[in-house]
Amino acid sequence: MKIDEQKCIGCLECIDYCPVGAIKEGQNSAYIEQDECVECGVCLKVEACSSEALYQPKLEWPRILRAQFSDPRVVHPTTMVYGRGTDETKTNEITNRYPRGYIGIAAELGRPCVATRLKDVEKVARAILPLQVEFEQDNPTYHLFEDVKIGKMREDVLNERVLSAILEFRMPVEKAPQVLQALRKVAGEIETVMSIDIGARLESDGSNPAADVARKAGYEIRPNGKTNLGLGRPAAEGKGIGR
Amino acid sequence: MTHTNHRLGERADLNHDYVVFMYAAKGFNDKDVGLKLQKFMKMGYVYQPVNAGPARTGDRFMVEPEKLPERITRSSSAYIVYDNREKAEALVKDLVKADMGISVVVSGLFDEVNNICEKAGIKSHTAMCSLGIWGKTGLLPEDSEILGIATMCGHSMIGFNLIKRMAYDVETDRISLEKASQILARPCSCGIFNPERAKDLLRRYNERKTIRAPIK
Repeated sequence: MKIDEQKCIGCLECIDYCPVGAIKEGQNSAYIEQDECVECGVCLKVEACSSEALYQPKLEWPRILRAQFSDPRVVHPTTMVYGRGTDETKTNEITNRYPRGYIGIAAELGRPCVATRLKDVEKVARAILPLQVEFEQDNPTYHLFEDVKIGKMREDVLNERVLSAILEFRMPVEKAPQVLQALRKVAGEIETVMSIDIGARLESDGSNPAADVARKAGYEIRPNGKTNLGLGRPAAEGKGIGR
Repeated sequence: MTHTNHRLGERADLNHDYVVFMYAAKGFNDKDVGLKLQKFMKMGYVYQPVNAGPARTGDRFMVEPEKLPERITRSSSAYIVYDNREKAEALVKDLVKADMGISVVVSGLFDEVNNICEKAGIKSHTAMCSLGIWGKTGLLPEDSEILGIATMCGHSMIGFNLIKRMAYDVETDRISLEKASQILARPCSCGIFNPERAKDLLRRYNERKTIRAPIK
């Protein structure tokens, strides 16, 4: 995003709308710090400028990634899906993405409202992927990696800044504590925050294996979260995308 | 993998925050799902949501509510936000009866959602929990109300600065609480932001700040 300084009247009304603080006060007008801007488009979407000084230039690779990962109205060309993640647990009764015996863990870097460089996403991936978890291929983050076995991301995207990016993994229940431990360790090495999710298909008695694993490993579970009611038409047993 | 999963807050105020959404599974039942999503929206509007939205086509504060159902034909998901669990329960019961075959997810307090399922005569299938925020948490504001408001947009489109400014503008009578909550809702493209809860949090934030102010 950019500001046409000829049109800007210097009212600075736009500054507070930027979720990452990339709009700054210049000498006679506001300007956008291009290295900080994540191309989320919020300022333009909410019409934060009354003099129509905000404008969106055409974005080229790799900067286009900023919009794809930050603006939920932009579709990811690699997955043809809006947003930053997958259906994950939301459609599990149909996709069987997490069958019994498996746990899903996700780390969303940059959330809430801190943003992240992709190099921090790589740092977390390098800590987790060698543990031989299944890296979610339908997540757009997957397509940024040159070598998913070791978590090596392509060099030309590492400095791109996005509002958030999600690493999604699936693993057998018994591997989850090791993954959580590795996430906890690498959390101390990144320059941003990350919101952590853990999910699973519920047992027939209603218990949640994901919550049980996390509690046993000493992690606090928030009292609220997402519950899939199971109203989707289920795939036949053993079918779906679950491997 | 997250979206409505990290809505921070205390139990008491989270009980005024339930998101019910219908979500088609890509490659399984997303083809021509628009009519079912429209039906979902119409059913949800019966119980007076505080916000609603199909992804990307705006939210209640940018699109007139009556136009929303017609605008979701290109979407694969739709969202309804309520400020109490009874409304969520009523919609879930209706959805169970309607049996549309599309996934339905409720974001809210787990025990209350389980209770809703029991009353609707169903067993929930899968759950996603939040383990909170890790990493450089010193970059976050200390005020729980600011975080509570910011995390109601799952895509982080509502920044801390905007929330603080709205709190200040309300405190100094520049705008009403109602107007501030609507301004905060606008950046959220999915319409999952709960402006009623935002009003409570803004009010509490301003009251607490007043209490903390030095006595002269």
